[in-house]
Amino acid sequence: MKFNDLFAGMLFLAVAAAVAFAARSLPNPSEQPLGPSAFPLILSGLLGLCAAILAVNGARATPRGPLFALADWARNGGTLLRLLLVPAAVVFYILCADPLGFLLTAALILAVLFLAGSVRPLHAFALACIAALVIHSLFYLGLGVQLPWGPLEPFRW
Amino acid sequence: MLDAYVTALGMVLDPYVLFVITASAIYGLVVGCIPGLSATMATALLVPLTFFMPPVPAIAAIVTTSTMAIFSGDIPGCLLRIPGTPASAAYVDDSYQMTLKGKPELALGIGLWFSVIGGLFGTAVMMVASPAIADFALGFGSVEFFWIVMLGLGGAVFIGSSTPLKACIALLIGLLIAMVGMNNPAGQPRFTFDSTEMLGGVSLIPMMVGMFACSEVMRHMISGGGAPQVVVRKIGPIFANMWRLTKQYPWQLLRGSALGTVIGIQPGSGADMAAWMSYAMSKRLSKEPEKFGTGHPEGLIEAGASNNSSLAGAWIPALVFGIPGDSITAIAIGVLMMKNMAPGPTIFVNNPENVYALFLVFVIANLVMLPLGWAIIKVATRVLTVPRKVLMPIILLFAIVGSYAINNSLFDVGLMLAFGVLAFVLEENDFPVAPVILGVVLGPLLEEYFINSMIKSDGRLIGLVDRPIAAVLAAITVTIVGWTIIASVRGAKAPELRAEG
Repeated sequence: MKFNDLFAGMLFLAVAAAVAFAARSLPNPSEQPLGPSAFPLILSGLLGLCAAILAVNGARATPRGPLFALADWARNGGTLLRLLLVPAAVVFYILCADPLGFLLTAALILAVLFLAGSVRPLHAFALACIAALVIHSLFYLGLGVQLPWGPLEPFRW
Repeated sequence: MLDAYVTALGMVLDPYVLFVITASAIYGLVVGCIPGLSATMATALLVPLTFFMPPVPAIAAIVTTSTMAIFSGDIPGCLLRIPGTPASAAYVDDSYQMTLKGKPELALGIGLWFSVIGGLFGTAVMMVASPAIADFALGFGSVEFFWIVMLGLGGAVFIGSSTPLKACIALLIGLLIAMVGMNNPAGQPRFTFDSTEMLGGVSLIPMMVGMFACSEVMRHMISGGGAPQVVVRKIGPIFANMWRLTKQYPWQLLRGSALGTVIGIQPGSGADMAAWMSYAMSKRLSKEPEKFGTGHPEGLIEAGASNNSSLAGAWIPALVFGIPGDSITAIAIGVLMMKNMAPGPTIFVNNPENVYALFLVFVIANLVMLPLGWAIIKVATRVLTVPRKVLMPIILLFAIVGSYAINNSLFDVGLMLAFGVLAFVLEENDFPVAPVILGVVLGPLLEEYFINSMIKSDGRLIGLVDRPIAAVLAAITVTIVGWTIIASVRGAKAPELRAEG
């Protein structure tokens, strides 16, 4: 996703405005002249200033081009899908780590990502299992991190 | 001081610490050697593990990994013409030409031997200079520290960057992220969206792992690419000509080491800028500038020594003032804070043995680089062919578990993803990522110094500049910022250098 500088500038201007709005309503219980809202207000002011300059530069640039354009990789469905696999894998982990347990979740994620990188299926499956076990041992046995077991609970070691 | 060094030596020679140093050395060498995996990413991925270690081994792991990764970034540069880390990009032409001429061992030997000497030079400067500067800085108050942080941030945004405006926005985003939570002078929860997880602020570890590892995996997904083809099959004796070259180019070695250290000290510029500037200087002062780029050792020596010495140089402001020189030291400062060893001049008074232990780790890391570096060069042709389509998913899983491990919290995993996506989108649009990290690490300090200074002066802004040292620091900061603004208004192009990240 390529943003035009005008678009990026307006985006950050909106962020600055939102921060300033939220900061103004912060309570100041000890009645100090510079309460908890002072510093965020200064920062949001500076951010607004920089964002405005960026937006103006973007608006004056010739030719201006579209507000945002898709990069080459985003037009290729396969590449886009591969990219989206990364956030999908993390979200899958967040949702499934507890019900499925670490080992199953991790092996599944790895297997899918390997296959997406066109690793041969048998290799992908074997590598996924081995890598999940190694990382599990490192964190669970080596560092004592309590990783969830899920349905593998009876086989816990 | 000698007593403290003896204590420190005892701490460092502990078998567990030596094991950590060896393991992170091998890890750093392997990761740095693989093209597409940067030294910063190697360091960020290690941070969750250091969470479980005592302070000295934790910091030893960070120092050793980054030192090794910067050297071994030379290896793919030499064998494939793909620099393993940005710091090796400056002299990749010369070293690759040597490989084409059938002398890869010469290029790799220079990379190893002169990296070690440069690293030891920078370490020596650090050992002598930082206690002295710390002693001087003991008299500093919140006003002086406010300006030192401002100088550090200003340098990072305005010196090391080709797009100062975008770097500035990135920095402000980082500073605003640092405002989240209750960690502020008033102790008020801010921008927490009523979530208890956010009360302590944005956790640094998932953030760093997300920005430097998760975003890297995403970038790999859109670039694809399998294992590169290695043409070289045999690498000859590595140290064969090194002594002769050392005697032939002593000034180049000294100049590179010295300039690298200075660039490292100066906030906002790291190993990659040191290598570029040293290579350029070597070419300008050389008697045979026409040979540069054709497999000539001179520039390799100067720039190879320079990027490793800058690594130690960057630790001087990091230790004395808590100001990171580049993203690797920003990560290291985060680790120090986590271990209750917040950097600053008082660390030399309160925990001198820990600081001296850190110095000694630098010396040991540079010394073990000789045998371990030799070993990695010998197996390099195999390491280079490890397919990245296998590595990247494993790195992603490691990033997930590492973020989860520190608090057993799935919320942190989500945070890791959010920052990974943020870093990916920012970089796609030419916003540098390193200033965000600097902002998050330094934000709470900057606010504290600012508010304390304002309280002392009853809210009058003149209080920020009415002490002599503060006024000088303020003048330098304003000059750097003002000069950049004037230069960009005149349409002058800033140097084509980017902050490491």
